[in-house]
Amino acid sequence: MTNTKKLWISLAILLVASFSVLLLMGREIYQKAPPMPEQVVSTAGETIYTRADMELGRRVWQSMGGMQLGSIWGHGGYVAPDWSADWLHREIMAVLNAWAAEEGAENYAALSPERQAALKGRLEGLFRTNTYDPATGTITLAEERARAIEKVSGHYEQLFGNDPAFEPLREAYAMKDDTVPDAEHRKALGAFFWWTAWAAGTERPGDTITYTNNWPSEPLIENRPPASSFVWSAFSVLFLLAGIGLLGWHYAVSHGREEEPHDLPPFDPMRGTVVTPSMSATAKYFWVLLALFLVQILLGAITAHYQVEGQVQYGFELANVLPYSLSRTWHTQLAVLWIATAWLGTGLYIAPAISGYEPPYQRLGVNFLWICLIIIVVGSFAGQWFAVMQTLGLENNFWFGHQGWEYADMGRFWQIFLFIGLVLWLVLVGRALWPALRPGAPGRSITGLLFLSTVAIGLFFGAALAWGENTHISMVEYWRWWLVHLWVEGFFEVFATAVIAFLFTRLGLLKLQTATVAVLFATIIFMAGGVLGTLHHLYFAGTPTVVLALGASFSALEVVPLAYIGFEAYHTFRLSKATPWMERYRWPIMFFLAVSFWNLVGAGLFGFLINPPLSLYYMQGLNLTPLHGHTALFGVYGMLGIGLVLFCLRGLKPELAWNEGLLKVSFWSFNVGLAMMALFTLLPLGTMQLIEAINNGYWSARSAEFMQQPIVDLLVWMRVPGDTIFSIGALALVVFVIGLWVRPRYQGVPTEEEERAATTKARA
Amino acid sequence: MIEFYFEIRAVHIGSVILSGLIFFLRGVGLHAFKASWPMAAPVRFTSYTVDTVLLTSAMMLTVILQQYPLADHWLTVKVALLIIYIVLGAYGLKYAKTPRARLGFWLAALALYLYIVSVARAHDPLGVFTLLL
Ligand code: HEM
Ligand SMILES: [Fe+2]
Repeated sequence: MTNTKKLWISLAILLVASFSVLLLMGREIYQKAPPMPEQVVSTAGETIYTRADMELGRRVWQSMGGMQLGSIWGHGGYVAPDWSADWLHREIMAVLNAWAAEEGAENYAALSPERQAALKGRLEGLFRTNTYDPATGTITLAEERARAIEKVSGHYEQLFGNDPAFEPLREAYAMKDDTVPDAEHRKALGAFFWWTAWAAGTERPGDTITYTNNWPSEPLIENRPPASSFVWSAFSVLFLLAGIGLLGWHYAVSHGREEEPHDLPPFDPMRGTVVTPSMSATAKYFWVLLALFLVQILLGAITAHYQVEGQVQYGFELANVLPYSLSRTWHTQLAVLWIATAWLGTGLYIAPAISGYEPPYQRLGVNFLWICLIIIVVGSFAGQWFAVMQTLGLENNFWFGHQGWEYADMGRFWQIFLFIGLVLWLVLVGRALWPALRPGAPGRSITGLLFLSTVAIGLFFGAALAWGENTHISMVEYWRWWLVHLWVEGFFEVFATAVIAFLFTRLGLLKLQTATVAVLFATIIFMAGGVLGTLHHLYFAGTPTVVLALGASFSALEVVPLAYIGFEAYHTFRLSKATPWMERYRWPIMFFLAVSFWNLVGAGLFGFLINPPLSLYYMQGLNLTPLHGHTALFGVYGMLGIGLVLFCLRGLKPELAWNEGLLKVSFWSFNVGLAMMALFTLLPLGTMQLIEAINNGYWSARSAEFMQQPIVDLLVWMRVPGDTIFSIGALALVVFVIGLWVRPRYQGVPTEEEERAATTKARA
Repeated sequence: MIEFYFEIRAVHIGSVILSGLIFFLRGVGLHAFKASWPMAAPVRFTSYTVDTVLLTSAMMLTVILQQYPLADHWLTVKVALLIIYIVLGAYGLKYAKTPRARLGFWLAALALYLYIVSVARAHDPLGVFTLLL
């Protein structure tokens, strides 16, 4: 059996095994999810909430932007509180203060430490004991909890309405007035929040940990990291080190075996690429994605500013038309959309370039898909606007409004539309690529691998269609992370490795066989950790302990290949210097090098920082999460997208001289700006919050009191320099691209002979 | 943030002075001594850094004081003139074709800089000309 064949078989076995376990875990999560009660009653017999209240409340929450405004179980935005932790703490304090009042004290804080300890003991049982009766679907709560819920519900009803007394709090949370104008809806919203808090504070039947593995940290009811989180954190580090050791051994053994030197082509093999009509038609993908990118940055600046002024922007009352919840929705959604557009355009550009075949009506297909994409962006955004403005109506929200699930926010209709668009894209790329995929075609294996990774990207978007409007939140989370995690930590990584290796084979710098084996091997390594690593997003999402154990162990393995990414980067760098004509590709290559750098720093280091269960127990939803999110998502895939765009532009306009100065400014501004954002704001602020969460409970690190401290404001302001520099990078890139069309400088393509001569000269 | 008002104001004023000083010295080096250091990388990057700090502190002050360009006219004038100042400065150090033209732009930029400072001190769009009223 050839080496390649062995690798293919290993990959197949690995994928079948991993996905079987992942599906099994899905079943486990489904069975062990915190129950949705039919009703919640007090011991006196009064009905507090019904299931209908909670379901209505969840739909209200989704319509106002869901995870984009505050978070649930730690997933979502960072400015408003985590509603589960916030509700839990407020309910606890209401009970304690009521008890203290019975003892004649002003409140709990006014009691002596001895009395406080006694009440705390009583409180623990009151909250942690599970009173859900599966036979009747009823949760029965003590009278004092019923009173406390009334109180907290009142607080929330005022907060989400437009009570002037709550203006400062709304301002601190970046909420617009009348976030939910309908009073019934506000009450129902409380029912949903309460249920998430109940699951977070109530022990599983016959166990001593709560449904959310004791998340959030809440010392008053002894919600502390469970033993499993210590155990699996330690083991995950162990697995990581073992993986690094093993892979190091593998490299040592195979060192020097793979790369016999071979003759590099004396001229650019892609220089003769004929630009077909469909390839020219991809140019508008690149224009549009740059426009989307600029809008994304602007929305990011607005979102960040809402953290210091919750409703206004430099004196302008923006929250009435573009509140935080929306600006953040569009900011995160555009990130995915413009990066995806870069890849869509690249695929459509490259397929005919490789096969030399322009299928009939290909250009029409490319243009049609482009129009569909525009419609999807505009249509889904419009729906979200009406949803957040609370004018769409709950009955339309799921299909056309705002689903409220971070990174999967668009209405179901638009998701289906986008899915069809992705399938159309695969068809367009596949049919153009077909001659290069047929048996016997040179380089079939690596082309096939690249195509497979794009097929996986396209089809896995289907996971977004797996949940319905009333699916249990734990299951929605499960499928949502199939989408987000399996994309970014699975198939995107494979695509990134494959596309870069592929381009090098096309340029004749890498031998097909070497590249195929390397990419297959990398795929196996990425998938080994990546598939089951999905579960690291679900430690505290109402899942059983086995999810935490598997998630921690396998996701640690994801970092193993990243630890060695220096090899790949150095290799790329050497190839870029291998021949004089590679100078043409200098800037795409620089962006590919940045991909490696941020893969190590953003994904590997900052990803692992929050990854062990014990870390994430405190860090989830603190500013350490966006630290990782920004550096990984832009650092890796944003940079990759830009590199690919530049590569395609080189081929689209081969005869133009490039304004290298602009690209240099752009490249360094992106990197320096991103690093400044990470180091001046997100890392210090996240660390401050971390200490607060460990000392006083998670709710405190997310509270208005904590987040409104002057020092926090100051740290948020420290983003401005970095973000300004970053924006300059984007503007420089846009000016560069516009220049290619508006003020082209022709230099002509060097002839084959000229390149040959330059190569000979360089070799001599 | 009002807690840090005086510090931020100090940083703002400090970076205004520093920024103007750097611009002045670079111009002197360039126009009087035909030196090359004014355009050297460390000098350019120092200048960018100071200007970024200047801009950031300015934005902070507007929010602390709730006084914004477009709403408060002296700030509107400041921002508008600032943009012109940047353009004049760029021509004065680099983009203008002849040394004479560069010198002209540089002097104009310096004059404008002083006028902007006077607008800031007077909190009035007329700046130094308020003295004439
Ligand atoms: C380039 C690859 C990666 C990208 C683009 C990426 C992106 C993201 C994004 C966008 C989030 C959500 C942040 C938020 O909610 O605001 C996230 C969360 C997270 N990522 Fe990654 N990530 C990558 C690789 C990794 C790796 C290698 C690890 C660690 C092994 C990791 C661990 C985590 C964890 C633990 C969370 C938080 C989970 C949660 O809150 O549920 N990521 N990532
Ligand atoms: Fe992940």
